[in-house]
Amino acid sequence: MARVIMLEPDVVLARTYREALEQAGHEVCVCREAQEAVFCVDDGLPDVILLELQLVGHSGIEFLYELRSYADWQNIPVVILSNVPPYEFSSNADLLRDTLGVVEYRYKPQTSLATIVSLANQLALA
Amino acid sequence: MQISRRAEAGLLLGNSDEALALVHDQSEIALQLIEGYMLSMRLSLDQNDAFTLEPVAVSSMLYDAAQQLTPIAKSYGVELEVVTAGRYGPVAAHQQGFKTALVSLGYALIEALPATNRSQLRLQLAAHKCRYGIATGLYADSELLTTEALRRGHQLRGRARQPLPQLTHTGGAGVFVADAILQALGTKLKVSHYRNLSGLGTVLQPNPQLQLV
Repeated sequence: MARVIMLEPDVVLARTYREALEQAGHEVCVCREAQEAVFCVDDGLPDVILLELQLVGHSGIEFLYELRSYADWQNIPVVILSNVPPYEFSSNADLLRDTLGVVEYRYKPQTSLATIVSLANQLALA
Repeated sequence: MQISRRAEAGLLLGNSDEALALVHDQSEIALQLIEGYMLSMRLSLDQNDAFTLEPVAVSSMLYDAAQQLTPIAKSYGVELEVVTAGRYGPVAAHQQGFKTALVSLGYALIEALPATNRSQLRLQLAAHKCRYGIATGLYADSELLTTEALRRGHQLRGRARQPLPQLTHTGGAGVFVADAILQALGTKLKVSHYRNLSGLGTVLQPNPQLQLV
């Protein structure tokens, strides 16, 4: 079982993801905003963070910089699951991988629930 | 995407009835948004159609819009309220255009409100008298609905993925569809304030001749 923090502003989509992940035996904390996610990480270190980049107020990238500014939170794996297609970040792939610790970038419209669950399973075992 | 994921969840988790209901609501609203966009195009291309005005009761227009928005509001956990305090006579308006603009706007705000860390998720469809006529629109307890945010959104529309970052995590399609319809009808989408709430809507002109009928 993994502790998953999901930063997803769309409540309907978040509910769907949460149900699927919980059925697979994971503990899920859904956050709508960057600040809420920081509090959630502070409550207990997650095994993985699933992150949407388009949020209200602070963006997902701002959240990543905030997350990595704390020494204890350097190694938390982050999977970007976003409506922003990866090719828009192709020139910044190194920054995402090396500086911000993004282990995987998934384009949300093309990522099935089953893929997300299996990704969480893999990271729980890692 | 929501439709696809919800359908997949229905299969995966075995709660297909609930999934089906949600898929239905989401597809309805998606179709209405597309219809709204097409209407805005049609109205801007055919100005004769845009000025086909008819007597419209503001309160009934608000109730109709609320009725269409109720299922989707329920799935987002947003409480809808219609407030038409005061008596307003009929206005001369393009009924379909204004109703579609209200529904599009409503959908955008219903989707946007829960994305912020707000305890009360309440949206008012309201009409009230103002200096320029009858201000009609959707109001929420949100300080993020500002004229400045809307102005920036207009500038970024078509250039940024998230033109209204302080208001919504999406592309704000509903807001821009409503704006396009209202522009085609010769009015504007405006930020207004009512009873300590901020909202988006437009001003309708009361028609003294219709009040005599």
